[in-house]
Amino acid sequence: MKFVYFHLMPYPYLPDDFDGSYPSPSLTFPNKFFDRELGNRLYHRYLDELEYAEQLGFDGIAVNEHHQSAYGLMPSPNIMAAALARRTETAKIMVLGNAIGIRGNPLRVAEEIAMLDHLTNGRIVSGFVRGIGWEYFAHSVNPARSRDRFNEAHDLIIKAWTSDEMFQWISPNYEYRYVNVWPRPVQDPHPPIYIPGAGSTETMKFVAQHRHTYMSVYAPTPVVRRWFDGYRQAADELGYVPDPEKIAFSVPIYLAETEEQAHREARQHLLWLFHKGLKQGPELVFPPGYMTPSSLRGLLMAGMKPYPELSYEELLNHGYAVVGSPDTVKARLRELQEELGFGQLIGLFGLGDITPERSRRSTELFASEVMPAIRPLGVADSVAAVS
Amino acid sequence: MTTVANDAGPARVDAPDEQYLDLPGGRVHLFRGGRGAPVLFLHAAGGAGYWHEFHQLLAGRFEVFAPDHPGFGGSDELAEVEGVDDLVYHYLDLIERLGLDRPHVVGASFGGWIAAELAVAAPHAIGSLVLLSPAGLRLPDHPVADLFRMSPPQLADALFQDTAKAAAAFPANPDVDTILAAYRDMTALARFAWTPFLNNPKLERRLHRITAPTLVAWPSNDKIIPVAHGNRYADLIPKAEFAMVEDCGHAMYFERPAEFAEITTNFLAAGAGLNGVSL
Repeated sequence: MKFVYFHLMPYPYLPDDFDGSYPSPSLTFPNKFFDRELGNRLYHRYLDELEYAEQLGFDGIAVNEHHQSAYGLMPSPNIMAAALARRTETAKIMVLGNAIGIRGNPLRVAEEIAMLDHLTNGRIVSGFVRGIGWEYFAHSVNPARSRDRFNEAHDLIIKAWTSDEMFQWISPNYEYRYVNVWPRPVQDPHPPIYIPGAGSTETMKFVAQHRHTYMSVYAPTPVVRRWFDGYRQAADELGYVPDPEKIAFSVPIYLAETEEQAHREARQHLLWLFHKGLKQGPELVFPPGYMTPSSLRGLLMAGMKPYPELSYEELLNHGYAVVGSPDTVKARLRELQEELGFGQLIGLFGLGDITPERSRRSTELFASEVMPAIRPLGVADSVAAVS
Repeated sequence: MTTVANDAGPARVDAPDEQYLDLPGGRVHLFRGGRGAPVLFLHAAGGAGYWHEFHQLLAGRFEVFAPDHPGFGGSDELAEVEGVDDLVYHYLDLIERLGLDRPHVVGASFGGWIAAELAVAAPHAIGSLVLLSPAGLRLPDHPVADLFRMSPPQLADALFQDTAKAAAAFPANPDVDTILAAYRDMTALARFAWTPFLNNPKLERRLHRITAPTLVAWPSNDKIIPVAHGNRYADLIPKAEFAMVEDCGHAMYFERPAEFAEITTNFLAAGAGLNGVSL
């Protein structure tokens, strides 16, 4: 098992009337609520937490991209990766990912990731995401072109990293007459690529075909199981068995010394994440054209509740989050690993409005008590040994 | 040859004929009904795939051709029709394909934008022009409401003045197929109109090219497209009249079909005479 410490960098200081007065912390939530001083301190605290995760033994530390939102404060994840690059030495620096669906100039992503690969001495991991629906409003990009833009940008970036010769790139959404990226990345042929999936079979096939790492997003365990099975099946149809490490399970995690204390403390922070951070109507999440008809049908038929309607108990029981003492978290993760077959765990420890003290203690407990026990699971050799 | 006596009460109209036209990229669905001078009706963002009371009323006097735009209603998404400029060529092709001789063009909202672009691009290919609260202009001081961001209840409220009609148009618990059909229409709209948002910045300076007698009509309570857009259209189109329909929202022909049919019919009947087309 590989362990990743993932940070969203939320802005937790919402006004008291947030629930009643604002439809979402994203897109239209006024930026006057971003307190310059408090926000400034948050960035440094969160970066400290990511750096500390390396010291605790996490294999990777991860950041991501969101725009115009209190849900996450990283419009440019590459800047955060750069801030971490020379302050860390061993952990993979994971950008999960660049929202290439909304980038006006995806070649810039190829250039920045290549630079980051040098700053990290080959530790960069390059995730690609389409960007959440609201970001298509925020950056004035047509969501009806989202999938095409993503696919074209993906192919362009990989070719830019791997081609030894200058080339011309012409696709429906992009035209470059001269592609000749300096520097080339350190990693040969290019940094590993992670792509999140949320049920689209097109994505499962795409990720399997390119042998990238497939990541889950917040969903109930049976739904994540269907996604991972879909990815494994897509790989099987291509004639290979994916290394479990290429299947990454993302989940919010909180630990305290005792079961009772863990739940007492976690409730508020987890509910902040799902009830405030992820408060967003379908119009913001699925603007027209963002979903294919079959994916939207699948989503509607699945009948998943909107995040803000999930109770704390439902979040835990359905596998949206893992909370408890070290022993129960260990047991729960074993159970989830057996069910889902992942070889990489992307844990979200900086939950919503969590205090720095709780965040730190929870992460320490995870690293010291849980990691050693879970590490042998989900490794390619152990899978082979079982059979 | 018509045997209907116009003074013997409301004219009988032919039941609408529904047909599909095969085009290189797919097929297009259209209704046609009525007799008289041809009218090409270009629908708004909503309402594709249905023959409305408004169509029926226009068909009392004209032969109405009501196609669904590519990707809307019963029409396929034509891969090569991806911008409003493509839509202009699409409709010029359709006019030719249907053998229409200088049809009147009536467009509402998004369809009004297409109608205006068509009249700019090919002024002599059309008869008269009726623009019902058309999108298309970029007026930074009078922004068009962002219907992409509205939930169905918000959209209903923004479109209709009459809340009962709004409720009827937006049922509370739509089934999956209804949601998917609406999402498909909005996806088609987004393809053409996400950015620039429901406008072509160059349209305003081209409006002087329109030679057709033009009626610009606006609902009095338009919460989607401010009436300033109507005034600008009426100012810049050389032969334009402006009319206001009272107590009505942007839904226009869904909310007050009789009133919109009446002003449209009266204007076109007069324009048709001017153009020398016999009824």
